[in-house]
Amino acid sequence: MATAIEKCVHCGFCLAACPTYNLLGEEMDSPRGRIYLMKNVLEERLSADDAQPYIDRCLGCMACVPACPSGVEYGDLLVSYRALQEDQRRRPPLDALARKLVIETLPYPRRFRLAAQTGKLSKALTAALPDAFAAMLNLLPAKLPPALPIPPVMPAKGARRGKVALLPGCVQQVLAPEINYAAAQLLAANGVEVHNPPGAGCCGSILLHIGAERQARDIARRNFTQFPADVDAIITTAAGCGSGINDYELLFKSQPDAERATEFSQKVMDFSAYLAELGLRQPAGFEEERRVVYQDACHLLHAQSQHAEPRALLNQIPNLRLLEIADAGMCCGSAGAYNIDQPAIAAQLGQRKIESILAVQPDVIVSANIGCITQLRQQLDRLGNPLPVLHIAEILHQACAD
Amino acid sequence: MMNRGILQALQKIYPADRLLTRDVELLPYESDALTAFNAKPGAVVLPVNEEEIIDTVRLCHQLALPFVARGSGTSLSGGSLPIPEGLTIGLNRLNRIKKIDPLQRIAVVEPGVINLHITEAAQPYGLYYAPDPSSQSICTIGGNIAFNSGGAHCLKYGMTSNHVLAMKVVLADGTVTRFGGESVDGVGIGPDLVGLFVGSEGLFGIALEITVRLMPQPELYQTVLAAYDDLGRAGDAVSMVVASGLLPGAMEIMDRLAIKAAEASVSAGYPDAEALLIVELEGEALQVEAEFEQLLGIIEKSSAIEVRVAQNEEERTRIWKGRKGAFSAVGRLSPDYIVQDGVVPRSRLGEALVEIGALKDKYQLDVANVFHAGDGNLHPLILYDGREAGALERAEALAGEILALCISLGGSITGEHGIGMEKRDYLPAMFSEEEIDIMEGLRRAIDPNEIANRGKMFPGGEAPALSQHGVHPLERAGLISRE
Amino acid sequence: MTMYAPRSVTELQALVLDSERIHVIGNGSKPALHCAVNGAAIVDLSGMSGIIEYQPAEYTATVRAGAPVRELSAALREKGQYLPFDPLLPEAATIGGTVASNLSGSRRFRYGGVRDFILGAQVVDGEGRAFGVGGKVVKNSAGFDLSKFLVGSMGKYAIMTELTFKVFPDVPRFRSLGFHYEELEEALSAIYFINQSAYELDALDLAPPSVHPINRGKKNGNWMLLARLAGFDDTLPRRVERFTAAMTRDTATIRVEELHDSAALWNPLADLTGEFLVKVVIPPKQLPAFDALIAHNRRRYSVGGNIAWAATDDIAQLDTALTSCGLTGLCLSGAVDSALIGVPIDNALAERVKQVLDPLGKLV
Repeated sequence: MATAIEKCVHCGFCLAACPTYNLLGEEMDSPRGRIYLMKNVLEERLSADDAQPYIDRCLGCMACVPACPSGVEYGDLLVSYRALQEDQRRRPPLDALARKLVIETLPYPRRFRLAAQTGKLSKALTAALPDAFAAMLNLLPAKLPPALPIPPVMPAKGARRGKVALLPGCVQQVLAPEINYAAAQLLAANGVEVHNPPGAGCCGSILLHIGAERQARDIARRNFTQFPADVDAIITTAAGCGSGINDYELLFKSQPDAERATEFSQKVMDFSAYLAELGLRQPAGFEEERRVVYQDACHLLHAQSQHAEPRALLNQIPNLRLLEIADAGMCCGSAGAYNIDQPAIAAQLGQRKIESILAVQPDVIVSANIGCITQLRQQLDRLGNPLPVLHIAEILHQACAD
Repeated sequence: MMNRGILQALQKIYPADRLLTRDVELLPYESDALTAFNAKPGAVVLPVNEEEIIDTVRLCHQLALPFVARGSGTSLSGGSLPIPEGLTIGLNRLNRIKKIDPLQRIAVVEPGVINLHITEAAQPYGLYYAPDPSSQSICTIGGNIAFNSGGAHCLKYGMTSNHVLAMKVVLADGTVTRFGGESVDGVGIGPDLVGLFVGSEGLFGIALEITVRLMPQPELYQTVLAAYDDLGRAGDAVSMVVASGLLPGAMEIMDRLAIKAAEASVSAGYPDAEALLIVELEGEALQVEAEFEQLLGIIEKSSAIEVRVAQNEEERTRIWKGRKGAFSAVGRLSPDYIVQDGVVPRSRLGEALVEIGALKDKYQLDVANVFHAGDGNLHPLILYDGREAGALERAEALAGEILALCISLGGSITGEHGIGMEKRDYLPAMFSEEEIDIMEGLRRAIDPNEIANRGKMFPGGEAPALSQHGVHPLERAGLISRE
Repeated sequence: MTMYAPRSVTELQALVLDSERIHVIGNGSKPALHCAVNGAAIVDLSGMSGIIEYQPAEYTATVRAGAPVRELSAALREKGQYLPFDPLLPEAATIGGTVASNLSGSRRFRYGGVRDFILGAQVVDGEGRAFGVGGKVVKNSAGFDLSKFLVGSMGKYAIMTELTFKVFPDVPRFRSLGFHYEELEEALSAIYFINQSAYELDALDLAPPSVHPINRGKKNGNWMLLARLAGFDDTLPRRVERFTAAMTRDTATIRVEELHDSAALWNPLADLTGEFLVKVVIPPKQLPAFDALIAHNRRRYSVGGNIAWAATDDIAQLDTALTSCGLTGLCLSGAVDSALIGVPIDNALAERVKQVLDPLGKLV
């Protein structure tokens, strides 16, 4: 942690990239300011409680990381700091209960599905979730979509060009099963053999985010043995999972299975990255021009440096016109606690984002993360705008359908 | 803690959420981009319109309360360092571009507008704002004005001062005055007050509204990257380009250490070499093409070991990204460093570099060199480790010797970062006692209480102590360690 | 009236200390600037002349203030360099006078004015103190930039004795074109088009119908936009072609003619005869309103329509026109009480400088 803090030379280059600084215009709400606050807390010049509101206001969007010339690992710093503070934080009993519920429910799709269907769980859970999932739960549909089972092995269509396994994830597969379904179909249609190990599941990122490191490791470990060794990649369709798995090295530092964790994380690839490298097989495209805005998910753009890949895929589709928006790298505000903890800031970010999107008059909005999709949907609903918001796998699947 | 009466007076101007007084709100304002100094302000106010600024300055004048205006806090000379227990006026919320007039090629902006945002707003009209400090993505025009900021592309079209046509300012005693106009001739008749105000380091007052000129985007850039196995040869190449009569938009040199830092930061794909020269031609396509041929001929003769030409905008951006992030990237190589900013006559660059090499050996410190070679503006980055006893003092001493060197070669102690906090003590090396007296007299004629950015530019006076980085408290406790 | 001609800074200092009021003159090329100095000792600086240091490789030159512009220009020309701010009176004026009155010719259009090329100066102030301002290198931001303040200061704050400039390499070839427009607004639109284009002109002036010799005797009533391109032999013809094509893109009917490129063509004052000659700093957008008021005067709109030069025999009428447009003028010739006409300048900041450099008000 100290390394990261000392690496910061206070140059201020991060300020321009930071959504909260842009919105609030205060040094404490900038990455540089937060690092300085963390430093002062660690040096005991400042109480952790005083600093907490400003640390909590951080979206964790990681836009500051690529903006930093000094290479401050802000993400690691934030996770470590939050974990350190979590240990010392005493929570009211209700919060503690909700937290337990999250840990026991969210990572398990079947439990989650059951709980969600009873409809009583969501409120209790949201109170405990300082991350992207909370907003999603808050918006739990009255009725969950039916599960879309994917066979354990989907053979490649035509000549086989690759072999992958799909990381099913947790919440997304319950709330939006069509995403993984479309991804699997699309991969198979493009000559990729897709494995869907029944025992695989949550990557643990969600638990890491709420500072439950031990439980996060336990959940993550369950995946290490589930996947065939000979796949080219383990594919994730959620930007948050991909970036969380990138943090395994930190999570498993000096822990049992560290090597396996690293091995596993090196295999994991975002859906767009894999498919862009492979290239689509003669997509049919759309009959009429479709104007598409691709909304960058922070955890894909900033945390995994995926800018060109999803765009390259979309650009392969005949009659799909890809539009660029102003401030494309700025978080849409979905980053979670936001809709609950910081409703005003989240709403402003969402509003700015949807304004920049609507300014270019798209027919469809596409993203690679269910958090963003939910946030944008909410903004559109507020405006009474029926514009569709799709996962990139879905639009590609549509465009590749015969 | 600020005196109660003062706070009450400020509360009359600012709502609670724009008057920051708690420690947690003040600490992040303790330093700008020169972290060698820090000082906690008594309060930070965040005005949202010029009336609030004027009221604040008048109040400060009345109460003799020292203040410093702050944009994004990116000064490398400590220019926006708070005055201990004084008022910091954060101007970053005055960030409206009031007007873009593409026909007359001007923009009217508030002081908190970010430099690059002007270019972005002018882009649809084929125009841009020329001064490009490396921090252009975040530094504000108000700060650029205070320090007459430069950038890599100053060779042809000058620094901030050359691009400001008119201003409305509030002087430190509360007087509001305007000068200049929308004609490209600026002030045009009568003494050039814009020229006097720009670069006054916040000692005269605060700019409230600024009219800048915009330039047409060059039709073509040709960016050449040449690698040398010797720093001196890169310097010679610059002299050859100058002698040829070419007028490039930018000429930059980086040495091995700076290349390494930039490479680690943005993977610019720089060649492995002792020195890199970046020369950029810009302008009308046909003209640039002709100049480009001439330039390549010169570079070929300059014993470059490798020459690359940016083939597209992406490659050009990558070359510049490495250069522009080079300062901060040095943070990857060393726990602490000092950025210097001296100027030598262009023809004595080689001499200066040899001398800096010798000084570096004398003080046993590493120095990375990044500089605007076209105008002889050196930026040696002195690397040191604050944990090592006496390292900071040695670095400071080395920095001082470099400045003395610049003056002895007939140059200046600052090209574009300003005197600020950092170079106050070197001002007498460049100006006589009488000249400093006259400047101080001028300052007092505008600001009798010496409240505006007190403690900057002039030697002596009250100043926050140099902060000792030293050993981290957690390190001392054995809880953490640095690699 | 007493005339003095100091030969050195020390002599000048002594003069300042011994005099109650002092007025500086170079070559006297702008007589209106020397009206209304009754009783002041006149200090003729033309004796403090000569180039002190010229370093072509540095793009810098230092000269004494009394040096004729033509002397410096000739030295620069020999090395293929020039003063990009284009002194307005290249034959008659001194360098000091050019800086003090801030007068640039048409080539100011390309790179900027006096303020953009002054690097430093040595001065003697109203207290008789001799000191330096600015520096001698092309980039410098140490201390307050009083060297820029001297530009346009009319010798009222300090007397310049030495000046250092940034200079640029010049180009070998020029081509001049004239574009005819029936209305001022059309010509102005053409200027706006150029302003947003990437064509790099060396100069751009606008000559009103019938007034300028270039226009006289030609199709009656045309505004002529004068454009000058500068460059190399091998590219200039193609650049001229491209530029002409772009300028006539909408209406092939626009008459274009190649003009003989000469110093006379690019002297904005050529043929501006009248008792009073006035410089007006004007935003191009104000040209139509201003021109309507002074249409009977000889005039030329220089530097892309940003500086107006007007000649008149009726200074009161011009003063009224300027005032009604909110503009300020500087009178260069003719007997006037004050060289400044039109709207007065907000001098709050300049007055502070006066308090420090010349508290007794000696310099007039």
